[in-house]
Amino acid sequence: MTDLASYAPLAIILLMAITFAVANVVLTLLIGPRRRGKIKGMTYESGMNPIGTARKRFNVRFYLIAMVFLVFDVEIIFLYPWAATFPNLDPSSPDALVWLFRILFFLLTTVVAYLYGFRKGVFRFD
Amino acid sequence: MIERIAWLWPEIILFLATCVVMVLGVSPRLALRRQCAFVSGLALFLAAMVAIATGPMATSPWPQMVPFMKGTAGFVGLLTLLVLAGTVDREVDRDQELGRGFAALRANRAEFYAFFLFSMTGLMLCASADDLIWLFLALELTSLPTYVMVTISTRRSRSQEAGVKYFFLGALGAAIFLYGFSLLYMGTGSTDLGAISTQILAQAEGGAINDIAMAGLVLSLIGVSFKIAAVPMHFYTADVYQGAAASVSAMLAFVPKAAGFIAILLLVSTVGWQWGVADTAGVSLGAGHSLPEPVRLLLWVMAVFTMTVGNVLALLQRSIKRILAYSSIAHSGYMLVGVIAGPQGARFIDNGVAATLFYLLSYGLMNVGAFAVVASMEHKGEEADDLDALRGLCRTRPWLGWTMVICALSLLGFPFTLGFFAKVPLFTSGIAAGEYALVVILGINSAIAAFYYLRLAALPMLEEPVGEAPALTRVPARIVAGVLSAGAALGMVLVAGFFMERAARAAVPGLFDGTHASQSATDQIARSGERRADE
Repeated sequence: MTDLASYAPLAIILLMAITFAVANVVLTLLIGPRRRGKIKGMTYESGMNPIGTARKRFNVRFYLIAMVFLVFDVEIIFLYPWAATFPNLDPSSPDALVWLFRILFFLLTTVVAYLYGFRKGVFRFD
Repeated sequence: MIERIAWLWPEIILFLATCVVMVLGVSPRLALRRQCAFVSGLALFLAAMVAIATGPMATSPWPQMVPFMKGTAGFVGLLTLLVLAGTVDREVDRDQELGRGFAALRANRAEFYAFFLFSMTGLMLCASADDLIWLFLALELTSLPTYVMVTISTRRSRSQEAGVKYFFLGALGAAIFLYGFSLLYMGTGSTDLGAISTQILAQAEGGAINDIAMAGLVLSLIGVSFKIAAVPMHFYTADVYQGAAASVSAMLAFVPKAAGFIAILLLVSTVGWQWGVADTAGVSLGAGHSLPEPVRLLLWVMAVFTMTVGNVLALLQRSIKRILAYSSIAHSGYMLVGVIAGPQGARFIDNGVAATLFYLLSYGLMNVGAFAVVASMEHKGEEADDLDALRGLCRTRPWLGWTMVICALSLLGFPFTLGFFAKVPLFTSGIAAGEYALVVILGINSAIAAFYYLRLAALPMLEEPVGEAPALTRVPARIVAGVLSAGAALGMVLVAGFFMERAARAAVPGLFDGTHASQSATDQIARSGERRADE
């Protein structure tokens, strides 16, 4: 059980995190000013004026836009490590070619996602 | 790593087909959209053929199982595809034929076929997994598309409810086995199944298997039991199968189950069937032909409860889909008997893993027929799900009726059907492994199952039809699938020997050879090191 000692920093961090969270809430309750009013109680304080209720129908297309955004976003995330590693490969080795085709294949999937989104009418705003 | 691509061509073919289907399925031209099913079928066929032609995968813990399972997945998938065809988009197509235009946002065909192919890709990736992370991703790739398929299979809120339920419980199952995987990694220091195996053997020779690794293995098995609908995680089965369209239920009964059994076989192969029965963790390595006691006990309890709960609850149902759902739980219990018995013995009938693999193939083939009949009995957009709908079906709709009779008898394990030849090896391998109590429980459960399966067979065959037969929506592919499935249930018997021999060959583990006493763990570590250096 001696190797449990190596986890001591983790325990300290955990303790600090809990203390920090609890202390913030408690301190705000104790010393924070309390002012109430109509403006202060609004949904977006010092933001937009809310119109109507939250139970409103909105176009399902927003989901599709979010999804398409996600596709390209994730794509970029994968491109970075590839771009950082690729120059280190020996250009004459077969590995380099495989790596190149790998990313091209990966980009092909984005094209498919784009085509799918296009045909589905995601990019049509009418 | 790169050499592995040589074994992954089936998955790559399926993935490319998925890309094609994804674009084809949203085409404004009806004729092009109708090609989705054809492209999917062609890809599945090609993938299965390529997998069989490629042969064993050297890096897998079960090298020979890879082509066997990929082939099984491909061909059962083809049969399932025939049932799946025409599940979605019938209204959208009709609207376009009537000249009302095509609303791409309402059409679901692209998603439906693409997700089916994704799921099949996941199943095939599962078969070639040799690493915990790979296995996790493959299992999730198998399951995630099925959640969507359940939801979009009909336009009723029942399907959406089923989809949400399936998704949340699936996420719970995935969380449990992922936690198990992380503990297994903590206890052995590797995610490679081969390295885990050598590490566990080394630990066992030094005294006992690491408790954390054992806990990880147990948790992983419990989590994976969601995929095979085994007892601690079976609650979703009936509701989801009933809520989804029958065609999607047919797929759910095979694809995640096959992936789950592959995962279970991969996971237990890291400890292997080489431990004494009475001992706890590993003191008697090489002394016996059983799994380590904690794992054996877990699988034993799971098998007994899964069979019993599935069969008893199936007795109480009136909905055909619920009966088939509970019976699918029971079938998982039967197959677990083979996993417990293990791959001992050179002969097929002594080899429990071979029995499990052959059962999976047979179950996949004969189960599609039963669901195809339910899917075909569609009247005004509503599937006739009550048992009464089967009354006198052999008179009114002979093809559907006799398909149901044959498939139900085969699922029961009636002599001289495929189900019989699939079930007998489970009994014999259990006896060969000395699991007498389990075999007795298996026998009792088969008797309970006879009650509801005979009802499924007797209602169409012996009863008189009630009133006028309703006009059914004709989807010819489903009848073809049903007839093919019933034909397999009878005709496969003639060539069962060939497939049994393949299954026996597939069930030879690559990690250990069952005679561990002759070689020490250090040898194995050296061998594994060489293997990894080769990669």
